[in-house]
Amino acid sequence: MHARVSFEEIRKIAHLAKLSFSEEEFSRFFQDISDIIAHFEKLNELQLEGVSPTSHISWSDPPMNTDEPVEWQGSDLVLQYAPRVEGRYFIVPKVVEKEEKPS
Amino acid sequence: MENIYVTIGLEVHCQLLTRAKMFCRCSTDYIGKTPNTLVCPVCMGLPGALPVLNRKALELAIKTALALQCEILPEVVFHRKNYFYPDLPKGYQISQYDFPIGVRGVLEFTLQGVKKRVRIRRVHVEEDAGKLVHEGPDLRGAVSGVDFNRAGIPLVEIVTEPDLHSPEEAKECLVMLRSIVRYLGVSDGNMEEGSLRCDANVSVSLSPEMPGTKVEIKNMNSFRSVFRALSYEVERQTELLRAGKTPVQETRHWDEVRQVTVPSRGKEEAEDYRYFPDPDLLPFCIPPEMLQEIQATIPELPLQKKERFMREYELPEPEAYILAQDRDLAEFFEACVREFPSPRAVCNFILTEVLKNLNSLNIGIRESKVTPSMLAELLKMVERREIGISLAKGIFEEMFRTGMGARDVMLKKGISFLTSERDLEKVVREVIEKNPQSVADYLRGKEKALHFLIGQVMRATKGQASPEVVKNLLLRELSGGE
Repeated sequence: MHARVSFEEIRKIAHLAKLSFSEEEFSRFFQDISDIIAHFEKLNELQLEGVSPTSHISWSDPPMNTDEPVEWQGSDLVLQYAPRVEGRYFIVPKVVEKEEKPS
Repeated sequence: MENIYVTIGLEVHCQLLTRAKMFCRCSTDYIGKTPNTLVCPVCMGLPGALPVLNRKALELAIKTALALQCEILPEVVFHRKNYFYPDLPKGYQISQYDFPIGVRGVLEFTLQGVKKRVRIRRVHVEEDAGKLVHEGPDLRGAVSGVDFNRAGIPLVEIVTEPDLHSPEEAKECLVMLRSIVRYLGVSDGNMEEGSLRCDANVSVSLSPEMPGTKVEIKNMNSFRSVFRALSYEVERQTELLRAGKTPVQETRHWDEVRQVTVPSRGKEEAEDYRYFPDPDLLPFCIPPEMLQEIQATIPELPLQKKERFMREYELPEPEAYILAQDRDLAEFFEACVREFPSPRAVCNFILTEVLKNLNSLNIGIRESKVTPSMLAELLKMVERREIGISLAKGIFEEMFRTGMGARDVMLKKGISFLTSERDLEKVVREVIEKNPQSVADYLRGKEKALHFLIGQVMRATKGQASPEVVKNLLLRELSGGE
């Protein structure tokens, strides 16, 4: 079995997902993810030349909305369940205004 | 001093003019609304909520791509762009990745009469994020407030190739792009309100063979700030290069108050959005009929209109260009010319008086009270020499303010017509009779005396005569009296 993932990549994925783990957990994830990837390697044994990737297995046209607004009545309830609210704002720790934000 | 080579590419986001959001049916009419009222489980990313595409958003994005002469990809596929930021409720933005709506388009504009051509790399649709508020009565302490009213509004993102070579070109390109999205009715293109947003990549090099370092500029909220931020950045990078240094590849923010660009923080890790196809949204094959239907809704675009105005009305290029930039103004012009077929006069009055009055209220021609017929009537009166052009300007201001017609304004203000030159001649003769000294002075070569006499006629007519006509009449009378 050949692992296609490095320890550093596991750390990076955890960092991007804002998750922190103990060294022991990292070792376990490294093993588990390596096994999963090894399992997927099996698929590469198939002849897939010229087969385009499939993101969905449905061939029907997706449903679409018409462009007419409908009001939803539950926003008060959502605010009620939020950990912190001031006025009608959801409150989060101060975001530095100049912080890098993707667009 | 050696040459510098500037390379600029733009990334423009426009909010699409749909009534409902992109993947839910919440209203998009969010400006000035109470926070978190135009929201639902979908646009707040509550567990289990499923997105359903608004067909109109897709159509408007396709329309934009078609107008920019893009190749339309046959299949619409949505990807998740994953990142954490408090204004993004799901932890990902539904966007497009390797299958944008359109690729390889073209945008043309002119700068000081010279035609420029910019390639469009891609046009895709995505959803807008919520809004963060950093100060306000509700916010005490080190906190930010999140309002999701804007979250999920459809955006079209337009990315140009780095084909622009000066801040002037970049600004003019953006002006044309805004003009096009407005013509199409796909976006209102309002930079101040954030319905049109622009980021720019800019690099400077001292030799055409050596590519410069790409620096991304964000937070430019007006056409002027795009121009100023890019000018500042070109200068900053040039100075670094001349000092033998290399600019750092980074993202910088335009600081509107200090008029400088500053490095953004938190850029230490490379962007990694882990794009993958959104399993909640099925791909959609665009039927050819749909493309044809959308193509048929694309109107004459600004450059085509400009060229037609030059051909049909014999307008000079700069004037035709300004008129054609604003579809409503161009239509107003044409409607006015139909009733008063002197295109030059109509164009001049619109580009001076009409624009001056519109700009003073910061409104468009559509919101003004003056109709094309009303302006045509006023200009006819000037042509018949019933009123002078300066009086016409004053009357127009009043028409603009009140919505009254020219004749009504004159009646209300007690301005009577000098209906013919004969009436005016009478006044001119009287003035000449009453001012023998000034007449003598003028005849001895004192130009000033003529101005005094013109002033006397204007006074006697309460400013209703055209100074030009008065001057000509005076000259005629004075030379005839010799």
